[in-house]
Amino acid sequence: MAGQNISAREIITSYDGPKLRIMEVCGTHTHEIFRLGIRKLLPEQIELISGPGCPVCVTQVGFIDEAVMLALEYGATVCTFGDLVRVPGTEMSLAGARAKGARVQVVYSPLDAVTYAAEHPGEQVVFLSVGFETTTPASCLAVEQAAEQGLTNFSLLTANKTMPSAYHALKGSADVFLYPGHVNAITGTALCESLVDEDISGVVTGFTARELLTALAVAIKKSTEGKPFFVNAYPRVVTREGSVEAQALMERLLEPCDAEWRGLGVIPQSGVRLREAYAAYDARKKFQLPEIKGRGNPACRCGDVLQGKCKPSDCKVFGKVCTPQHPIGACMVSNEGACSAYYQYGGDFNA
Amino acid sequence: MRDLAVTLAHGAGGKQTSELIDQVFKAHFANPALTADDAAVLTAPRGKMAMTTDGFIVSPSFFPGGNIGKLSICGTVNDLACMGARPLYLSCAFVIEEGFPMEKLEEIASAMEKTAKEAGVQIVSGDTKVAGKGQVDGVFITTTGVGEILEGVETSGAMAKPGDVVIVTGDVGRHGCTILLAREDFGIEADVTSDCAPLWGTVQDMLEVTKDIHVIRDATRGGVGTVLYEIAGQSGVGVQLDSTAVPVAPEVQGVCRMLGLEPLYLACEGRLVIVTPKEEADKVLEVLRKGKYSGNAAIIGEITAENPGRVIMTTEIGAQTVLPQPGGELLPRIC
Repeated sequence: MAGQNISAREIITSYDGPKLRIMEVCGTHTHEIFRLGIRKLLPEQIELISGPGCPVCVTQVGFIDEAVMLALEYGATVCTFGDLVRVPGTEMSLAGARAKGARVQVVYSPLDAVTYAAEHPGEQVVFLSVGFETTTPASCLAVEQAAEQGLTNFSLLTANKTMPSAYHALKGSADVFLYPGHVNAITGTALCESLVDEDISGVVTGFTARELLTALAVAIKKSTEGKPFFVNAYPRVVTREGSVEAQALMERLLEPCDAEWRGLGVIPQSGVRLREAYAAYDARKKFQLPEIKGRGNPACRCGDVLQGKCKPSDCKVFGKVCTPQHPIGACMVSNEGACSAYYQYGGDFNA
Repeated sequence: MRDLAVTLAHGAGGKQTSELIDQVFKAHFANPALTADDAAVLTAPRGKMAMTTDGFIVSPSFFPGGNIGKLSICGTVNDLACMGARPLYLSCAFVIEEGFPMEKLEEIASAMEKTAKEAGVQIVSGDTKVAGKGQVDGVFITTTGVGEILEGVETSGAMAKPGDVVIVTGDVGRHGCTILLAREDFGIEADVTSDCAPLWGTVQDMLEVTKDIHVIRDATRGGVGTVLYEIAGQSGVGVQLDSTAVPVAPEVQGVCRMLGLEPLYLACEGRLVIVTPKEEADKVLEVLRKGKYSGNAAIIGEITAENPGRVIMTTEIGAQTVLPQPGGELLPRIC
C-alpha cells in the first residue's frame, strides 16, 4: 500500500474478511453512529454492537427504587439529571413518585444540587450520582464544595461505575471495543493498553464523523493482522496519563466497590463509593437505607441488548409497548440508549 | 412613568385603566381605526381573507434580539404571511402581572409599534387585564390578525409535490437557542441573538417574482424539523434533506454540540420553510438572498414520492439516515 492513500471510508466499505463484531461501548458513540448513518455504510460481515456505556441504561432497577424510597418515605429532595426521572423502577419511576408528591428536581450538574441544598436548608437534598469516570469527578467536586460550605443537608446516592472491569465482563461479546474517548481522557490509556495481554482489543475513539470513521477503519485493519491490539485514535484529547487532577480527586473521595450493572449483574470492583471519611455525604449511610433488590419488567430485554446478545428490535416490547414516550426499559429512556437510537433512526426506507 | 408598576387598579376598568391605555397603548398604537368604541370598524378586503390568533408566554420576556411585544406581532404577522396574506389588522390582549414595571410595559409597547409599522399592519383593538401577583408570570400577550390574501396565491402544507424544492430562508435554531441561554440554566454564555422578525416583506418580494409557491411555513416551536414532518404528513410525500446544506450559525452549532441538541428542532421566529416547483427555485432564491431577513436562504432538500410521511437525511459523511421524529421534550415557553 506504500504511497497509496486509502480513505478510512474505503477501508470500511471494502472490508471482505471474516465476520467482525465491534462494540461501541459509549452511549454518545451509539447516538453519533446512528445520527451520521454510519451503520448504513458497513458491509454485512461487520456487526456494530451497542455496549453498556450509557450511564442511565446500566443503572440497576434497585437504584431507582432507592431514590423513590428516599423521596417518598424519607421526604428527601432528589436532585437528578433529567433522563433518570423516567427510568422505570420496580414499582414506579421518579416521575411517578413526583406525581405522588415527591420532590424531584432536575439539575444539569451536581454543583447545581449543592446550590439548591444551600438555598433550601430545610430540605435534605440527595443527588443521584451515576455515570463513569467522565461524570464522577463532578460528583466528587460537589461533595467537596458541600463540605467547604459546611452543608449538612447534601448527600450522594451513588451508582458510579468504572469502565475497565466491564471490558472483562464483556470479553466474549465483541472482537474489538471502541473505547469511550471521554472516559480515557480522564483515566488515560494504560489500563486499556494492558488489556491486550488478556486478548482484549480496542481503539480509543473520538466523537466527530472523521474520528469515528478513523477508529472503525483502524479496528478493521488491525483485526486483519490477527493479533490483539490497542490504538489511541483520539490523541488530540486522550493522553497516556489522562487527567491527573481528576484521578487524584476521585482517589481522595472514593474507594472501589462491587457494582450491579443492568444486564451484566454484579461485577466485582466495578463501581465506586464514598470513603468512610465522607460517610456523612453517603445517602445510604446517612438514611440507613435497607438493601433493595429491584425487579425489572420481565418482558424487557435491555440486559441482553447491553451485552450485544440481541438487537433492540428482537425484543418483543420494542416499539410496541416500549417507546421513548412510554419506556419499559432504561435503554429506551436516554437519547444515548441503544433502543432509543434504534427507534428514532431505525426502520426501513428507500435510500 | 419611571419606577411605577402595574397595579390591580389598572385592570379594574376605571380611571387608572384609561390612563394606562392612553399613556402606554394609545401612545404607541395610534391609528384612525383604533377608537374608544367597543369594536373597531373596518373596511373589508376585496378578495379572500386569512385570520389567525396566537398567545405569547415566552420566558424570559426580554431576550437578545427582541422581547415578547415584538414576538407577539411577528408571530401573527408571519402566520398570515405564510398564507400569502398581506397583514391588515391586529388585535392584542394583555394579561399583566400585578407589580410589572411600567417602564418594561412601555418598552414592550414600543417594540410592538415599531414591528407593526414595519409589517404594515394596524393594531385596531385591544384589551388589558391585570392578574394578582403570581397568577401570571410577567406579561402574557395574545394577538389576532386578519390579512388579505393576494390574488392568485394558494399555499398549504398539503400542496407539496414530488420534485419540488425545499428552501429555508436563513440559519436555523436561533430563537430557541437564545431563549435557552437567556434562562441561564446551563451556565453557558454565547453571543446568540433571536431571529425574531416580521416576514411579510420577505413573502411579498417572493410573490412578486412568482405566485407558484406550494407551501410557506414559519418554523416556530419545534423548528424546521417539525415543519418538514408536518409537510410530509399533510402532503403524503417524503422529504429528502441534505443536512450539510442547512444553514446553522457557528455559535448555535456550538451550543447544540455542547448540550446534545439538534438545531433542526430548535425554534425559529424569523425563518420560513418554502416548497416550490424546481423551475421557480432559482428566482425565489435570488430574490430571497436580496431580502433583509433572508440573506442566507438556501435549498436544503427536495420532495420525494418515496418514503411518504418521512424525512430522510443525507448526513455529513454522505450516508442516509432518518431524521428522528420530533419528540415531546421541547423547551417549554419558547414563544
